[in-house]
Amino acid sequence: MSHLKESDITPQEWFLNRRQLLRTIGAAGLLSTPLNAFADSSLRFQPNPQYRPDLKLTDAEHALHYNNFYELGTDKSDPYRNADRLITDNWQVRIEGECAKPQTFDMDDLLAIEQEERIYRFRCVEGWSMVVPWIGFPLSKLLNKVEPTSKAKYVEFISILDRKNLPGQRFNILDWPYREGLRIDEAMHPLTLMATGLYGEALQNQSGAPLRLIVPWKYGFKSSKSIVTIRLVEKQPISSWMQATPSEYGFYSNVNPQVPHRRWSQAKERPLGSFFKKKTLMFNGYADEVASLYSGMDLRRYF
Amino acid sequence: MPLAAKLFIFSLVCALPGIDLGWKLLQDNLGANPVETLEHTTGDWTIYFLLLTLSISPVQQLFVPKWPIPMHLIRRILGLSAFVYALLHLAVYFIFDMGLDIDAAVEDIATRPFIMIGMTALTLLIPLAITSTQGWQKRLKRRWQQLHKLIYPITFLGILHYALLVKADLFMPLLYLLLFGILMLLRQFKLPRLR
Repeated sequence: MSHLKESDITPQEWFLNRRQLLRTIGAAGLLSTPLNAFADSSLRFQPNPQYRPDLKLTDAEHALHYNNFYELGTDKSDPYRNADRLITDNWQVRIEGECAKPQTFDMDDLLAIEQEERIYRFRCVEGWSMVVPWIGFPLSKLLNKVEPTSKAKYVEFISILDRKNLPGQRFNILDWPYREGLRIDEAMHPLTLMATGLYGEALQNQSGAPLRLIVPWKYGFKSSKSIVTIRLVEKQPISSWMQATPSEYGFYSNVNPQVPHRRWSQAKERPLGSFFKKKTLMFNGYADEVASLYSGMDLRRYF
Repeated sequence: MPLAAKLFIFSLVCALPGIDLGWKLLQDNLGANPVETLEHTTGDWTIYFLLLTLSISPVQQLFVPKWPIPMHLIRRILGLSAFVYALLHLAVYFIFDMGLDIDAAVEDIATRPFIMIGMTALTLLIPLAITSTQGWQKRLKRRWQQLHKLIYPITFLGILHYALLVKADLFMPLLYLLLFGILMLLRQFKLPRLR
């Protein structure tokens, strides 16, 4: 299986080459020019060296063709195949609820926030994982703009509802639109990212364009795709998966190798592109940063 | 064409999905999650072959009076194909999911109903595979018929195994269940010959 290794290394080289290119551009002073110096579609971002774990990146080919995005179909290959069914023109995000300044943002507003690239581990509840370079900004930067009140204890994320165009929404596989939630301290945590890009480019539709959440210490389904509404609320929201199968999906959904899913163990994970499994890390490897959020909580009960 | 040649060709056709999978494995062309592809594809073909096995009798009654290969031989090869794909399915599970760890596999089987159900279905297939030959058929006589009726609960358990695994979208397992139901229902009637 030596040829597998070769294909595994290629994307990293590709990635490093791109970074080299960025450095060159940076050296030429181009990165300090204003936003409109580049075409509209290009993302301006800086790699954040703080979030660059010494890990091999997942082949972009895998990460962009193997997706869970039930709005575009339940098969892993459906989201890429049906990607053009998701219409992202003139996207707006409404932030409302328990805050002083509820507002509607369009993508230009969001892309005006400084964009950074962070390499994160990503662990799916199904037992596969990847290591991917997201581009985006901490969610806290956005939430602070609307000034949450003291009543804002939780944050609810609501994804796109477009039954006419999205093939997966023609059936009530889940209760559409897709809803997820975080506790406010989880939402404000520096690791919690609003992603606008992936592998150096704007998010592709199958990855949850134009705007998705990334909560790297939780199972992937917590990281809502194609978000249209963010609601600050007082009570713990009920996510679509909790509603569908309450015995299997809790509110917290922290990556935890010690707490199995009801139908499979979570002790190990299979990195995309690999045949064999490796051990899953507590909080997906982010325990140092986030374990304190859950001190004193019984994580078997609050799974 | 001699019967043996026909049987060989028919067996080869049944082996094609497996050959295709093996070829893709060698080419490293099984997608982002190669083990899942192996597991799902072998599982799917197990169910397809079980349903095909069950459809021989009603189809025989409805349509074709004469087959190029005797019906019972077609059914035997289809049934054995289901067994072989089920074994491959188990092998993929044991090698790649359980990492060849017997203790882990035993624990997994004991704690997860859908794995237990799948294992039960596969275990029940073993005596059918062993006694699939003409020799056994003669030796067991009426008992053979009774024994091989196990194919009904086996198919049901196989579909149940799949249904219990699915996260949310039950379309495919329900479709299989519907086909299974139709095939079982057809056995309750004396079917007219359509041609």
